[in-house]
Parts: sequence; structure tokens; C-alpha cells
Amino acid sequence: MIDSFNKKRLNQISKKTRPVLYSIFRLVILLAISYIIIYPLLYMISSSLKTSSAFQDPSVLWIPKVFTTENFKIAIEAMDFKNAIISTLIFEMVSALIETATCAITAYGLARFNFPGKKLLTVMLILLIMVPSQMIIIPMTINFSQLDFLGVLKLMGGLFGKELRPNILDTALCFYLPSLFSVGLRSGILIFIYHQFFRGLPKELEEAAWIDGSAPPRTFIQIALPSSSVAIITVLVLSCVWHWNDYYLAVMYTSENFPLAVSLASLPQRLSLIGIWPGDIRNTLGVMAGCVMFVVPILIVYLFLQRKFIKSIDRVGITG
Amino acid sequence: MKKKKHAGVERLKSRYGLMFVTPFIIGLILFFVFPLISSVQYMFSRIRFEPGNTVITWTGLKNIKYVLFEDPHFINNVVKGFSTFAYSFPLILVVSLVMAIILVQDFKGRVLFRGISFMTVIIASGVVIEYVLKYQGADITGAGVETSIMEDMIDVESILTVLGLPTQISKYFQVVLSSIMTVIWNSGIQTLLFISGLQAIPDQMYEVSKVEGATKWEEFWFVTFPMLSKILVLVSAFTVVELFTSKTDRVVSSAYTMMQSQNYHESTAMLWVYFLILGIVIALIYIPFNKYCLKRWE
Repeated sequence: MIDSFNKKRLNQISKKTRPVLYSIFRLVILLAISYIIIYPLLYMISSSLKTSSAFQDPSVLWIPKVFTTENFKIAIEAMDFKNAIISTLIFEMVSALIETATCAITAYGLARFNFPGKKLLTVMLILLIMVPSQMIIIPMTINFSQLDFLGVLKLMGGLFGKELRPNILDTALCFYLPSLFSVGLRSGILIFIYHQFFRGLPKELEEAAWIDGSAPPRTFIQIALPSSSVAIITVLVLSCVWHWNDYYLAVMYTSENFPLAVSLASLPQRLSLIGIWPGDIRNTLGVMAGCVMFVVPILIVYLFLQRKFIKSIDRVGITG
Repeated sequence: MKKKKHAGVERLKSRYGLMFVTPFIIGLILFFVFPLISSVQYMFSRIRFEPGNTVITWTGLKNIKYVLFEDPHFINNVVKGFSTFAYSFPLILVVSLVMAIILVQDFKGRVLFRGISFMTVIIASGVVIEYVLKYQGADITGAGVETSIMEDMIDVESILTVLGLPTQISKYFQVVLSSIMTVIWNSGIQTLLFISGLQAIPDQMYEVSKVEGATKWEEFWFVTFPMLSKILVLVSAFTVVELFTSKTDRVVSSAYTMMQSQNYHESTAMLWVYFLILGIVIALIYIPFNKYCLKRWE
């Protein structure tokens, strides 16, 4: 009797405490993960502001007694920061914008229309997602060093006896061209996100527009695009972030106008060129300062777009 | 008569469809299929640069032989890559799924935690991560040592002394911790895709399962998980590609060093061999998984 009473009581308690226990558990997991994410950022910022003696001083934990901008100065000098950020903006960011636009067009075509060869194109899209860009980077680089569309220019050059194939390496073109044809940096997954969104968009409005005599390109611009801000923001943020962080393509395509990611990757070596060798603490601190300068611009942009981006993720509706 | 008219409309629509995807088709041919074919060609040949021309001579299996039998690091690097994959892959999937499930719930501070966890997407570049996980630091004696921020993050040795364990274990702890950190920093996009997928599950499914009296656990396994199975495939594919092409992967980075010294043929061969092995392994894992696990839910 008492036993069953206790059991009932226990059940009641556990029913009440379960959500509390669960939310504590949730909070613990979230805090742990946030700690792991935020710690390196704070560490970078904190050590980039320290002098090398303060970095070694065990009594200085987070906030140095004397703030110094010395690390930033040497990092800016070694990275050639001004030129690097200009080429990042011109090469990578513009390419991200182009990609955001062209991927939408491709995905709309795939999501809304039936045409011969659609299955093949879908398979190619999956391949585009799956095949690492490293596989095709060498032929692309060689191709860009003598830009030729399937041998047409070489043939014409042979006819006229002139070299018509331009070398577009180290110019913005080698970033823009693939993006223009929506096969740029990770285009596959961006097209996929758009495709998923367009598929979930109600068809009725576009069908009504068709009956009223609006051609699909106009329908796309005036009806489909205005109602897909969610997908556009998601893709725009992802594309900008990936382009900003892009290292593999940029390091092959550029030889002088290095974007920021490439200069950051070679920062320890670059610092040793101005006499601060790896192993010197100033080298480490300079690298930390470089990381901070690399992260901060994109972080600021993210903070502005954050609310919209988070809401967009909820509503894109990727189902696979 | 009526049918014919309808067919005309369909044809017109399909033409418009083709119009939308034409740039993509051109791009695929120029910047994907064509380079892919030439990279297969490079694998079996030697590339030399003369002014205004690229000379490609056929050398047969020489590059592949070099990669497999002469390169001293290749096999080791492959093994290393796969062992990293073996623990990272399941962990990344689990962590990102748990994060996604937590972050779609309604609770105080959700926006803050979402903002923080999406920060990994923003910063998840190979370059910064590499510096975070391992940078060439210097200890007080001035000798260059490889340290990482993670070692500063949790003072393993003092925890071990408090627990009364020998400090030799600290090495293992550090390995575990640094892999946890790698996993969390690499699971940003996956979390994002899972969140998007979770939001797309209709609420009615959950209402039905509640009416039927399912527990939370059953609800997860019989509603959430099957509904996510397709996105799980997408996320897995994405994770595999990410893991094997990240800057911390040794085969890819050594191939890159070779490329930068214009050793194009051998680095292509190396990447092809690596990704072919990878493809075979993935197929061996995926086919039985698909047959026995995913089919069960359908």
C-alpha cells in the first residue's frame, strides 16, 4: 500500500522535474558548446592585444595591463592588408553576389519546368556537390592561363596567326566566369538550397501569371523572386562566407593580388620575411592579430544580418 | 485537337525551362566536365609548360606508381585521413543533430545560442581553424613548439593531479579534446541544414504521435528520424567531402604543396587515387547502411 503510494508520488515528482532536468541538461550542453566556440575567439582577441612579455607572464590572464597595437601593425605590414582586402572584395565578394543571382536562375529552371535531359542534369548537380573542387582545380588553372573555350580560340588564332588566348589568371575574371555560369565555389549546394525552396513555393500564383500572358522570365523576376527573400538571404550569407574563407581556389588563381585568406595562410612565413621568425613570440601574436582582422569584417556583416539569417534558416525548408 | 494544343503549351514551357538552365549546362561542360576529363588525362601523363603552350606527354601508369610505391608519406597520410574520418564523421552527425534539435526548441536565450552556434559557419575556414587548433607557438625557453589554443583552454594537467591520475594520460586527453573541438567547429553547416530540415517536418506528425501516446524517444525514432533520412544523406555527403578536403587533411595539403611547385601530374594522380579509395570506402559503407538501416523506416 505504502509502496504503491510512494511509486505514485515518485511518478508525479518525476513528471514535474523531468522538464526542469531536461532544461538544465540542455543549458549545460549549450554552455559547453558555446564555451568551445567563443574561447578561441576571445583568446585571439586577447593575445593580439598583448605585448610579448605580457603573453608569457602567467599573472596576466585575459586583459593585459598595457594594450598594444604593435601586433596589428606588423600583421598589416606582413599581410599587405590594404591590397589583400581590396582583392578579397573585388574578386571574392562580387563573385559571391554573381553566384547568388545565377544559382537562383538555374534552380528555378530545375524546380519549375520539365524538359528533356532534366534527369541527367540532376545527376550532374549531385556530382557537382560531391566532387571536390581540388579534382578540377589544376585543369581549371591551366585553362585559365590560356583561356580557351573548347579549342575555338586556338583554332581562330591558328587561322589568323596570332595568339588569341588571354591569360586571365590573377584577374577577377577567373572568379567571375564560373560564378556567371553558376558552377562557382560550392554552387551545387547553393542551387540545391534554392531548388528546395522553389519546390515548396505554391505554384498557383505563377500559373495565374502564365495564364495572364506573362512569360516565365518575367514571372520569375516579378513573382518568384520577391517571395523568396528567405532563400536569397540564406544563399547570400553562405556564398559570401564561403567566398571570404576560400583558400583553395584563390591560392591557385592568384599570383600577386592575393585575397585575405591566402595572405593569412602564409602569414608565419610572411612575418619571417620582415625578420620575425616562427618561434618568436611576436610571430605568434602577429598571427593572432591577423586572424582577428580576418574574422572581424565578416563577423560584423553577420551581426547585422544575423536575425534575418536565423529566421531564414527556419523557413527555407530543405527536405532532401 | 485539345490534346495537341496542350502538348504545344508543354513544349513551350519546356523550352523556357531549358532557357533557364542553359547557362548552367554551358558552365557544367566548360568548368566541370571538361576539366574533370582533362584531370584524368593528367593522371597518366606529364605536363610541361612552354611559352604559349602546354605540352602533355603520355607516360602511362608512372604517376600512379610514384604515388603508391615511391612517395614515402602517401600511405601514412591516407591512413591518418581515414582514422580522422572514422571518429569525426559519426561525431559530427550526432553533434549537429543534437544541436539542431535543441536549437529548434523554444527557450529563453535561443536567439543568443543560435547566433553563437552559427558563428562556426561564419568563421569555419580552414585557415583560421588551423591556427586555432595548432599554431607554431613558443614556450618560455624560446624553442618553437606546436601548441594549440585548446591546450590553454582546459588545463588538463591540473585536472589530472586533482583526480590523482598520472600526467602521462594528459596526452590522450589532449587528443580527445582537440578532436571534440574539431568536431564542433566543423559541424556548423550540418546543424544549419538539420535545423532547416526539422522545421520542414509538418506539425501534424507530432500531434498524431502525441495522440497515439508516443514517448519523446519513440517520437524521435519514428517521426523525426525517418523524416530526416533524406537530409541525413545530404548532410553525410557534405560532411564526407568537407572532411576529406579540409586544409587539415594531409593528403590534400601535400598535393597542394606539390601543385604550387608546378608538379601537376603527380599531385593530380595523388588526389585521384585518394578520392577513388575514398569513393570505394564510402560505397562499401553506404550500400549496406542503405539496405539495412534506412529501408527499415520506409
